[in-house]
Amino acid sequence: MLEYAWLIPVFPFLAFLLISLLPKRTLSWEDGAGYAIGGAAGALVLSALVIGDVLAGNTMVGDGPKFTWLVIANLEVTFGIWVDQLTAVMLLVVSVVGTLVVVYSGGYMHEEGEKRRRYYAEIMLFISVMYGLVISDNYLQMFIFWELVGLCSYLLIGFWYEKPSAASAAKRAFIVTRVGDIMFMAGIIILFKYVGSLGFDNLFGEDGIAAVPNDMMILATALIFGGAIGKSAQFPLHEWLPDAMEGPTTVSALIHAATMVKAGVYLTARSYPLLVQAPETLLFVAVIGGVTALIAATVALAASDIKRVLAYSTISQLGYMTLALGAGGYLVVYADTAGGYSAALFHLMNHAFFKALLFLCAGSVIHAVGTNDMRLMGGLGKKMRITSLTMLVGAIAISGVPPLSGFWSKDEVLAAVYNAGEFDSLFFLLWAMGIATAFMTAFYMFRMWFMTFAGKPRSDYHAHESPKLMTVPLMILAVLAVSSGFALFVGDGFGVFAGESIAGLYHGEHHESAVDILAHIFGDPLTYVSLVLAIAGIVLAYRIYCVPGFDRTVFATGTAGRFQRALQNRWYISQFYDDFAVKVVYAFSLVADAFDRVVIDGLVNGFAFLGARSGNLLRKAQSGNVQRYTTIIVVGLCLLLMFMLYIAPGGWW
Amino acid sequence: MLNAFMPQLLLVLFALIMPALDYMVKDKRWLAFVALTPLLGYAFALASWTLGGYWQPPSVETGVPLIEVNLFSGAFALAFVAVGIIVALSSPEFIRNERNQGEYYSLILLAVTGMTVVALATDLIVLFVGLEIAGIASFALSGFSKKERRSAEAATKYFIVGGFSSAMTLFAISLFYGVSGTTEIAAMGPQMEAMFSSVDGIRSAATLATVMLIAGLGFKIAAVPFHMWAPDVYEGAPTPISGLLAAASKKMGVAAMFKIFLVGIVVTKTDWEVAIAVIAVVTMTVGNLIAISQSNIKRMLAYSSIAQAGYILIVLPIGTEYAVAGGLFHVLTHAFMKSGAFMVVAALTVRGIGESLDDFRGLGKRSPFLALAMMLFLLSLAGIPPLAGFASKFVLFSSAVDASIDPGPSWLVWLAVAGVLNSALSLYYYARVIKKMYMEKGPEERVTVPTMTGAAIVIALVMVIVLGIYFDAVLELCREAAGSLLQAIP
Repeated sequence: MLEYAWLIPVFPFLAFLLISLLPKRTLSWEDGAGYAIGGAAGALVLSALVIGDVLAGNTMVGDGPKFTWLVIANLEVTFGIWVDQLTAVMLLVVSVVGTLVVVYSGGYMHEEGEKRRRYYAEIMLFISVMYGLVISDNYLQMFIFWELVGLCSYLLIGFWYEKPSAASAAKRAFIVTRVGDIMFMAGIIILFKYVGSLGFDNLFGEDGIAAVPNDMMILATALIFGGAIGKSAQFPLHEWLPDAMEGPTTVSALIHAATMVKAGVYLTARSYPLLVQAPETLLFVAVIGGVTALIAATVALAASDIKRVLAYSTISQLGYMTLALGAGGYLVVYADTAGGYSAALFHLMNHAFFKALLFLCAGSVIHAVGTNDMRLMGGLGKKMRITSLTMLVGAIAISGVPPLSGFWSKDEVLAAVYNAGEFDSLFFLLWAMGIATAFMTAFYMFRMWFMTFAGKPRSDYHAHESPKLMTVPLMILAVLAVSSGFALFVGDGFGVFAGESIAGLYHGEHHESAVDILAHIFGDPLTYVSLVLAIAGIVLAYRIYCVPGFDRTVFATGTAGRFQRALQNRWYISQFYDDFAVKVVYAFSLVADAFDRVVIDGLVNGFAFLGARSGNLLRKAQSGNVQRYTTIIVVGLCLLLMFMLYIAPGGWW
Repeated sequence: MLNAFMPQLLLVLFALIMPALDYMVKDKRWLAFVALTPLLGYAFALASWTLGGYWQPPSVETGVPLIEVNLFSGAFALAFVAVGIIVALSSPEFIRNERNQGEYYSLILLAVTGMTVVALATDLIVLFVGLEIAGIASFALSGFSKKERRSAEAATKYFIVGGFSSAMTLFAISLFYGVSGTTEIAAMGPQMEAMFSSVDGIRSAATLATVMLIAGLGFKIAAVPFHMWAPDVYEGAPTPISGLLAAASKKMGVAAMFKIFLVGIVVTKTDWEVAIAVIAVVTMTVGNLIAISQSNIKRMLAYSSIAQAGYILIVLPIGTEYAVAGGLFHVLTHAFMKSGAFMVVAALTVRGIGESLDDFRGLGKRSPFLALAMMLFLLSLAGIPPLAGFASKFVLFSSAVDASIDPGPSWLVWLAVAGVLNSALSLYYYARVIKKMYMEKGPEERVTVPTMTGAAIVIALVMVIVLGIYFDAVLELCREAAGSLLQAIP
């Protein structure tokens, strides 16, 4: 089955072609939604078969079919597929969330009319290239798909391009992630210089790793992680993701919560065989992750736009995954366990489900209310029962309350970070940041839920529950948000399963029974620290935002006010970029522009003038007179003879 | 030997029956289809051999090696036959009002015969015979539109300058025979060396012969300063024939030059490499500069193909296998992109639209297909990826860079620099046509695509795209072909 994995992206791609090329009248229902659902479902079925095969213990790492694209001298560029446990996790996320989002879009995009065709075409292209990204067997192929998902993200953020804010958000996302992309590319070029190949099988093999000097390995891995910083919206390149919320909410759910932003985490996880050679990079990864998790969580505390709360929450949770990968590398190197690595993947999977759920619920709310601003909502709980309940499930899951999925993976992440503290005490600090983040996560999530669904309406609207096409995906995702955490206990357990994809790097995970795992988790006092903090966050949010009588104006005055303003201004990071861009970059670009106009254009115009002039002069020689032509031949011949007899052999070269 | 000549005999046979057939068919389009039969057969045979390796051509068994069937000749023959097919396919609509159409196809078949003979030849005399067969057929073809003065004028000029050049080629061959005592290309080198060491001062005679040869073949490929006939002839000749001249006849000169310079007189390479390098650079620069100021599309394309000849000429001073592969590759891609561009012009002429650049205004609206095809051909000529022209230019120029490092000399790198700068220059006039087609307003009424010319354009278009994307396989073939040429060096 695995050798057919390349067919997975083909289904959505066919749907993309059909939707964009077929005559309009043949698209029928919802301007192509039918083809889109078909394409997504086809890929889902195939993905399920491939995942089943992986679960049965089969992988295809470096021994899959390869298609040679081109050969230049000794450079051979091949396209191939690579399917291991990591791929399976990503396939699961992309296929399930992708299909559900496409179904949901049938209801959500209903009012977009003609534009739906573009929407479905672009979303199918995205799904196709996202699959392509996760099954790539070399960095170059991955980079190509990496850029393509970036392109789709750009197109879909700017879906309502007639809105200036959407157009500029799309540009911003594209440009900021491009900074990371360049680093990624530089990283793989370094690897190529030393190894002479970009295939994972060559790079991750002993020969490949031995070929790269240690300092270059640190640089290359740090640069590759730079790509992840851009794509997974890690500090300091995280500011594009909240702006990306200008796109349709379905796009936010699929691309900017569940799949594309996970590509950075996926890339880091995929590069693990290289990362463990460079502990310096691992520490860097962990610090970036921890800082991102904390900073984004603080900003989410004060955001009033429901989608921005979710966006910052996504950044924060991605920070968790990055942190776990950084700590996990230390564990692999020093403690010989894949605990951190599998925790990151576990959180990646769980987060994809509950965050997609939260986004789609937010979409359902926005669909009903017509605004993103939570200050104008309130009291929706009664009118939108399914949405409010499913969103509550999502909020509980992300807050880390057992037995929902978020609890298990967050606990694993924090435990891994704490354990890594044994090898570098910096991890204790990062763990403390993680714990603080957990508290804030619970708080802002319930703040959001209470502001939206509890109390009385704060503006005039006539909300009603969304159609079945939207609520059914919500219910399915809610079930997944509850249950995906139990993957920890199924079979050998998720930890052992995920660990197998880096089996060569450590000496195997010992299998624990479900009871052992439970005893392990609940026997650890640290579990209760995060649990208590999560509950405290929920209670605090309840007291402030649900129980009437709390005077919220205290947040707006004094130190608290300054703090709140700083948060509302996103710690001024966005402003810093704007100022920096305006003052420094713009000044630089003015100079460059002047140079371009005066020197380059001057040269070009000069040459053009010269060219046209000399062309005209030369054309004069072309008289149309055949005697003249033969004369010139004879003259040319004589000149040539003189040149060859007298000048060339003397050699003035 | 007769076996190896089978395709040529077949072509000649069809050429002979074409005029008779002219009296028998009412619908003159049948003439084109009949003429296509041997061409398609030959093309199929060549393609299944060179690309697929499904069969081996018969080996030549004879005491005097006059021809050799190898991958090098196969690849060139394939280019010639392919252009022949494209030209024949698009002709019926273009010459529908002419008389004696049978002779027209007969001449095309003879021209292709001559070209393939050049591709096969391993002997200077056979090579010369091939050049003459093709040459005389093309003189007549360029004057085929007898009612048009431009056509007649073109034929006259072409004939006079062509005769002059043939004389020089023949003179060169006789001088070479004098210095080497042989007309067999592969044997020339050793014999010349022996002669140089025994007879004093005879190297100058070899140099004179080389100059004569450069002039004689320089006429065929329209290298500066032997190029002046080309724009007048390309403009005056029936447009499909201009395509034949630019895309095939010129490549025949290239084949001859590769054989003689890279195998026959490679022993005196130090004598001629600088001169040819200078000619190459001057040719590409002059071609591009004059192309900028042209207002007639056919003249513009003529100068553009002069420039392209300059690009191909850099192969001779470089002389490595990779360079020859690049030259061969460029011959193949240029055959399709240039003939394609001429066929678009032909299609417009069939619909009564002129040849001035201004006639292309608004073509994007009037005929999206023709405009798109023209744009892709022009972009390919300029060397824009992922089209074929980019791939072959890339190989061509990178071979100069490679060779400048090993085996040298280091000045070869300047050939690549000149080539790249010239490509940038050429984009100016190619882009101007695209701008006229898509950005300027022109007449409104739609232009329908003539069916057969359209089919020819589609063939060229597919090849321009396929050769660009799957250049890998083609490059491999070109490398093998180059190897089969260079292995003849004793």
